[in-house]
Amino acid sequence: MSYEDWYRQDRLPHIFCAGCGNGTIINCTLAAIEQMGWKKDDTVFVSGIGCSSRASGYIVTDSLHTTHGRAIAFATGVKMANKDLNVVVFTGDGDLAAIGGNHFIHACRRNIDLTVVCMNNQIYGMTGGQGSPTTPRGCLSTTTPTGCVETPFDLCELAIAAGANYVSRWTSYHVKELEKAVKAGLETPGFSFIEALVQCPTAFGRRNKFRQVADHVEYLRSHSLLRAKRDRLIEAGEPVPEDMFVVGELARRKRPALGVKP
Amino acid sequence: MILAIDETRCKGCNLCTKVCPYKIFKEGKKPNRRGIVVPELDRPERCTNCRLQQLYGRTLCGVCQLTCPDQAIHWIEEKPYELKKVAIEY
Repeated sequence: MSYEDWYRQDRLPHIFCAGCGNGTIINCTLAAIEQMGWKKDDTVFVSGIGCSSRASGYIVTDSLHTTHGRAIAFATGVKMANKDLNVVVFTGDGDLAAIGGNHFIHACRRNIDLTVVCMNNQIYGMTGGQGSPTTPRGCLSTTTPTGCVETPFDLCELAIAAGANYVSRWTSYHVKELEKAVKAGLETPGFSFIEALVQCPTAFGRRNKFRQVADHVEYLRSHSLLRAKRDRLIEAGEPVPEDMFVVGELARRKRPALGVKP
Repeated sequence: MILAIDETRCKGCNLCTKVCPYKIFKEGKKPNRRGIVVPELDRPERCTNCRLQQLYGRTLCGVCQLTCPDQAIHWIEEKPYELKKVAIEY
């Protein structure tokens, strides 16, 4: 048995662009699920709209491709209707942070037993590269042709503040760490949120000097700051570099959860 | 076990050339039938997973397989090694 059995072989190859990181994240998530030993009949994948949300269609279990931003709302219903099901949500940054922002906050507040894997490519990739709430400052997109002037959302901080039980962030370069993080999220009762930064060579990279996929992955590798290292920097009173993002396990709590298997 | 790239799935992003610790994957030179430059394998028998997967009963490194966004990298069973008589010239 390997995680490849979870793929619908008749649907592959998928429609993601060459070099898109979403396939990597699906691999890591399925590898973690495979280690959990879950049955295919007891697992449900829910996704919204966007590049990342096509993921559930390539997986052999029951899945639903819901309307834009409503993936967590649907997953909440699935979980409350049948607590024996294991529900995993795939979303993108536009799906989770922009259109489904309130559903996300309230799912964190309710601390319902879901695992949300957010593939954050920092842009609306499928609709042609419009700026999303997570587009970093100064980045070019179709709707920000002179550089984004807004401060982006930090989804992990949002999830921690709203009360999620497990929060971690990794990138598509850190595959083994991401696999472990997803597994920890699946094991944690309550809301687990895993943000995975992915490269998008077609919509984001083309406009932001990452035309080559390897350049963007190298950027993700070199600009990720481990949480332990950040804590050490803060302890020593040194400034944390502003252009880097923190990766690692950011929160693990034991708040009372909703919808946990009896 | 032997490393193999599924040419029907590979889209030629060359991410495997970046992540392999042994640098087994090399950028290809010729486009295939679909116009995609599939990476070449440079001495795939050096891969730890090829040699030790069955001995340990688990995937050892597997970073290329996890990283491949197109699910194109896998290991296939090899034919059992056959002993051959070789004449050695003195």
